[in-house]
Amino acid sequence: MRAARTAYPLKWRIMDALEGIAAAIWPARFRRATPYLMLLPAVLLVGLLVLGLIQIADASLRTLDTTTFQFSDDYSIANFRRALTEPLFLVVAQRSLVAALIVTAVTLVFAFPYAYLMVRTRSPRLRKFLLIALFLPFFIGQVVRAYGWLIILGNQGMVNEALGLIGVAPMRLIYNYPAVLFGLVQYMLPFAVLMLAPALTAIPEELEAAAGSLGANWVRTFIHVVLPLARPGFIGAGVVVLTLSLTDFAVPAILGGGSQDFIANAIYDQFFRTSDQGLGATLALMLVALGSILVGLVFALFGAGTLAMGRSRA
Amino acid sequence: MNGSRSKSVVLWTLVTIALVTLSAPTIVVLGASFTGGNIITFPPDGLSLRWYARISQASDLRNAFLRTLHVATVCTIVAIPVGTLAGIALAKYAVRFEKTIQIYLLLPFTIPLIGSGIGLMLIFGNAGILGQLWPVGIACCVINLPFMIWAVTASATGLDPDLELAAANCGAPPLQVFFSVTLPAVMPGVITGSLLMFILALNEFLVSLLLVDARIVTLPVLIYNSIRSIITPDLAAISVVFIACSAVAIFLLDRLVGLDIFLKSK
Repeated sequence: MRAARTAYPLKWRIMDALEGIAAAIWPARFRRATPYLMLLPAVLLVGLLVLGLIQIADASLRTLDTTTFQFSDDYSIANFRRALTEPLFLVVAQRSLVAALIVTAVTLVFAFPYAYLMVRTRSPRLRKFLLIALFLPFFIGQVVRAYGWLIILGNQGMVNEALGLIGVAPMRLIYNYPAVLFGLVQYMLPFAVLMLAPALTAIPEELEAAAGSLGANWVRTFIHVVLPLARPGFIGAGVVVLTLSLTDFAVPAILGGGSQDFIANAIYDQFFRTSDQGLGATLALMLVALGSILVGLVFALFGAGTLAMGRSRA
Repeated sequence: MNGSRSKSVVLWTLVTIALVTLSAPTIVVLGASFTGGNIITFPPDGLSLRWYARISQASDLRNAFLRTLHVATVCTIVAIPVGTLAGIALAKYAVRFEKTIQIYLLLPFTIPLIGSGIGLMLIFGNAGILGQLWPVGIACCVINLPFMIWAVTASATGLDPDLELAAANCGAPPLQVFFSVTLPAVMPGVITGSLLMFILALNEFLVSLLLVDARIVTLPVLIYNSIRSIITPDLAAISVVFIACSAVAIFLLDRLVGLDIFLKSK
C-alpha cells in the first residue's frame, strides 16, 4: 500500500489537489453556470469600456466656466448645443463621413481581387507571398506606415526629388484630403482582405465552374455567383473599414498635417489643446453614437456577416 | 485558376496596385534607414549603418522600446486566459443571451478607439493609476480582446464535443478534461490570438497617446511626436525595429499555426 503511494507521480497528486479545490469551490451542480463563469473575466474587462462611456456621458453634461476653468456641478445640454451648431464641427464631421464612405468603397474594390486571388490561386507560394505582403504592413502600425508615406510623398520626398530630376517643379502631395484618403485606404486594405477571405473560401469553386459551363463569362459569374455569396465578407469588411476610417486619428494627423482634421482629432484637441473636457466628451459621445448607429444599421439590414463570434450555424 | 485572359489581367492589375501600395512605406523606411546623408534624399547619399549606431546609443529610444515591450507583455498575459475562456465558452456552450453577450464583447470594436481611450483615461485618472505602464497594457488588452476571442472560437468550433465526453467517460475529472483535451485543441487559436494581441499592443498608438505622459512615452508615441518636427533618418532606423518585430511575428505565426488559418471559413 505504501509502495503504491510513492509510485503515484507528483503531477497526478497536484492535479488531484487542483481537482479537489475546483470541486470544492465549484461543485458539479454549478455546472450549468460554468460557461458564464468562463465569460465573466471578459465581460468585466469590457465593462471598463462601459464605465468609461458613463464617465464620458457625465463629463459631456458639464460645461466649462471659461473665467475660472472649473466645470459646472449641475448638468446642462449646452455642450451638445454647441457641438451641433458650431460650423467647425459640422465641417469636420462631414469631412470624416465622406472620407469614410469613399475609403470603404475604394478599399473593397481593391481588397476583393486580392482576397479572391489569395484564396483561389493554385500556387501555395503565391498564396504565402500575398499573405506576408498583407501581414507585414498590418503588423507595423499606423505611425510607421504614415512616416513611410511622408518620406515618399513629402515636399522634399522621393517623388518630388525624382520629379525634380526630370525638371518638374515640386508638387504638394501631402497635407491634403486625397493624401489622407490614400493613407486610410492603405491602412484599411489588410483588415478588409482578412474579413473577405473566409467568406470567399466558403464559396465552392465548382459553383464558378458550373456558371462557366452554363455559358456565363467571368464577369457574369462574379456578379451573379461570387459577389452575392461573398456578402457576409463584404458586410464584415465594410463595417470594419467604415468605422475604423470614420474614427481614425493618426492618418489625418500625420498625412493631413493639421489641416484635414477628422472627428477624433477634434476630440483630442478639445481635451489637450483647449482643455474643454466637457465639449470633448460631448463630441466623443456623439462619435460613439454615430459609429454604433452605422454598425447597427448595417447589422440590422444585412446581419453580422463574418463579424459573428459564436458557434457556427450552418 | 480556370478563367479567361481578361479576368487575370483585371485581377492582377488591381492586386499589383494593392501590393505596391501595401509594401511601399515598408520598403522606403527600410531603405531610408541605411542612408549615409543627414537627411533623406532620393537617390540616397550612399549606404551606411550610422543611424543604427546612433539609435543604439540613444537611451530615450531604448527606454521607450522597453516600455512598449512591457505594455505588450501585460496585454498578452491578461488576454490569454480571459480570451481563451471566453472563446471556449462562446464556441462550445449554448449560453443564454448569447447574441447579447456577443454584441457586448464586440464593444471594443464598435466603440471608436478615441472614445475607448478617453473613457479609460477618465477612469484611470479617477483611480489615480494614470502615469503607470500596466494600465496601458490593460487598455490595449481591452480594445483588442475580440481578436483573441475570435481566434479561440475559430479553433474551438473544430473540436468535437464527443472527445471531451469520452475523456470524462474514461474517468477524467473536469480540470483534466480541460487541460488534456480542450486546451490542446484550441492551442492554434490561443497562439494566433496571443501573437496578434502582442503585436497590436506593440503598435498601439492612439490609446497609448491618451494614457501616457512625457515620462512614460511608448515608442509609437515617441515616433509620432518626432515626426511632427523634422524628418531625419534616425526615425527610419527606429521604425525598422517595428518592421523587424512584424517580420518575427509573421514567421512565428507561419511556423506555429500556418498563415493559412486566416483564410479558413468558419
